[in-house]
Amino acid sequence: MSEADLDLELDAPAVMLPAGARDVLPAEADALRGVEADLRATMDSFGYREVITPVLELAEVMDRAEEGGLGRSFRLFDDHGRVMVLRPDLTIPVARLVATRLAAHPGPIRVRYTGRRFRPSPVGRPEPVEERQAGFELVGASGPEADAEVVAVLVHALRRAGLDDVRVSIGDVELCREVLEALEVPMDARRVLAAALAGRNLVAWRRAVSGLDLPLAASTLLAELPSLRGGTEVLDRIREVAPNASGSCDWLERAFALAEAHGVRTALNLDFGVLRDWSYYSGAVFEAYVEGESMPLAVGGRYDGLGERFGRARTAVGVAIALGPLHRAIAARRGADTPLRFGVVLCGGLDTELALATTIRATGTPVIGAASDAEQLAAEDGWRFVATPTPAGIELLDRDSGTRHSASDLMSALAKARA
Amino acid sequence: MSRPLRICVPLGALLRDSLECLTAAGVDVSCLSDVGRKLVVTGDDGTLFITTRPSDVPTYVEAGAADIGIVGKDVLRERQPDVYELVDLGFGACRMIYATVDGIDPTAAAISHRGAVRVATKYTAVAARYFLATGRPADIVKVNGSVELAPLVGLADGIVDLVATGRTLLENGLVEREHIFGSSARLIANRVSHKLHADAIDALVARSSVSAP
Repeated sequence: MSEADLDLELDAPAVMLPAGARDVLPAEADALRGVEADLRATMDSFGYREVITPVLELAEVMDRAEEGGLGRSFRLFDDHGRVMVLRPDLTIPVARLVATRLAAHPGPIRVRYTGRRFRPSPVGRPEPVEERQAGFELVGASGPEADAEVVAVLVHALRRAGLDDVRVSIGDVELCREVLEALEVPMDARRVLAAALAGRNLVAWRRAVSGLDLPLAASTLLAELPSLRGGTEVLDRIREVAPNASGSCDWLERAFALAEAHGVRTALNLDFGVLRDWSYYSGAVFEAYVEGESMPLAVGGRYDGLGERFGRARTAVGVAIALGPLHRAIAARRGADTPLRFGVVLCGGLDTELALATTIRATGTPVIGAASDAEQLAAEDGWRFVATPTPAGIELLDRDSGTRHSASDLMSALAKARA
Repeated sequence: MSRPLRICVPLGALLRDSLECLTAAGVDVSCLSDVGRKLVVTGDDGTLFITTRPSDVPTYVEAGAADIGIVGKDVLRERQPDVYELVDLGFGACRMIYATVDGIDPTAAAISHRGAVRVATKYTAVAARYFLATGRPADIVKVNGSVELAPLVGLADGIVDLVATGRTLLENGLVEREHIFGSSARLIANRVSHKLHADAIDALVARSSVSAP
C-alpha cells in the first residue's frame, strides 16, 4: 500500500451510512413500488385493507409477544425514561392493533400492511438493518379455510409479481407438539429437540431421538420427522404412529384440498423441517422460496395465542413478504434492461414552454424541462422522448426506435410516435 | 426447476475424505482429480464443485452460492451460519480443547490474580462462549496460526484449539485441560436449496447416511 492509499483510508468519507443501512435510488424505487402494487392488487382482490402502525413502539408491548425478549432490536428512551423499540417485526404491532383498536370488530378481520422493520445486523453478515416488508393477516377466521386462504393470497401475489416458479413449504408446530405428546417424550428432551430444530440441526435432532427410550416405529418416525416432506401422503405415516396427531393431519389435508380449489396446490408441499424462529406460532407455518434467493422470500403461519397477549384472543394467520429479496428475484428474472419510461424531455428551457408542458402533463405523460443537453438528461434518467421546438413546430426523438417525428405541435408528434 | 447441484468442498485436511464420501454417495467427482489451481469445476453431469478454504464453506452455502457443502463441526460452531446441518459424515474426527502449559494449570490463578484468563485461539467465538458458559472471565486473543506458540512466549495463559491426535500439543509442552466438544465433518445445505432441490439433496443424504458410521 502506498502512502497515498493509506491517506485515503484514514480520510474515510465524511458522508457514510451506518452498517447495514442503504439508500434506494429512483430506478430501484420505481421497481419496488411496482412490486408492491402487484402484491397490493392481489391482497385487495381478497378484501385485505391497509393499516399503518408506528415505527416506534413501547418495548413492554413488544416484549409481551415473546417470552425472553425480542432479541436483536434497537432500543431507545423517551423523555419519561420509558424504553421504546424501533419495531423489529411487523406482525406483533399489527396483532396489537387488531386486538386493541379493532377489538369490537365481529371478524373475520382482513388487514394488510407495508412497512419497514429494523434489526441490528449481526457482525460480519451483510443483513440489512432496515427491511421493507409487505404482509397481511386474517384474524378471527377459524378452520383450515383460513390457512388455505392466506397461502393462496401469498402464492397468487408472488405469481402476479412475476414469480411463476414460487414454492411454498408448509410445516406445523402444533403437529410436531402432538407427535411428541403421543410418544410421551419427556419435557427436558423436548427442549433439546426444539433447540436442535431451531438451529436447523438434523444431526443433533436424530442424536437426541436415539437417546430416547422409544419403540422402533416411534423412534424411526421421530428421527425422520423434520426430514419428512412431500404431498399429503406423508401424513399417513404420522397418523399410523401417532394417532392423536390425526387432528392436525386432517387439518393440513383439508387446507391442501382447499388450496387445490384456490389454484395454488402445485406450488405447495409439506415439509416438517420448516419452522418459524418465533415462538408465537401455534399451527401451520410456511415459507416461500424461489430459485436464486438464499433465504425465504416470505414467512408466515398461524399464531392463535398472540391476540390474547394484547387482551383479545382470536385465531390468526398471517404472512410477511421481504420486499428487498423479492424485488431482487424479480429483477434477476427480468434482466437488467429497464424499459424506457413514457415521458418527454422538452428542450428549450422551462419558461417559454410552460403552458405546453402543462397541457401534456394533464394527459398523464410526464414532461421534464431541460434548458440544454436534453438528450443527455433523457439517457441518464431513461425517458423515451426528447422534444425540440423548431420553426415549423416540434421535432420529437423517440429513443426507443431511434426515429424522429416532425409535427406542428407536441400533441400530434406524440400521437404519431404512439402509432 | 431441477438443475445440477452446486457443491462446496473444503480444501485441506478434509478434502480427500470429502471426495470419497461424495463418491460413495453417487456423486461423480472425477473432474476434481486434477484441478490444479482452478477453484470452480463442472463435472460431466453438470454438477458444479466450488473449492474453498474450510472456514469459507458455510459462507458460500449460507449465501446460496453453493447448495450444499462439507465442513467441520468446529467451523459451524464458530460461524453459526443459518443453514441446515443434515448429516454427520463421521470423518475428520477431532476435538475442540482448552490446553495450557504442562505443570500446574495457570487458569485459576490468572483469574484470581488478574481477573481474567488470557486465551489465544483461532476460534474466538467458540472460546468466548465456552468461558462465558463455564462462568470464567476470559480475554480472547485472536491468532491466525501456530496457536501452540502463544502460551510458550507469554502471549496467553492457554489456548482453545482443534486437535486430532494431540501430538503438536505434546511436542510443545502443552497439556489438554478441558474437552469442549467433539468435531467431525458435516453435510450442510442452504435453506432454500434444501427445499427447491429436495429430491437431489434427500437422495444424497440417504446415501451418505448409509456410508457414515
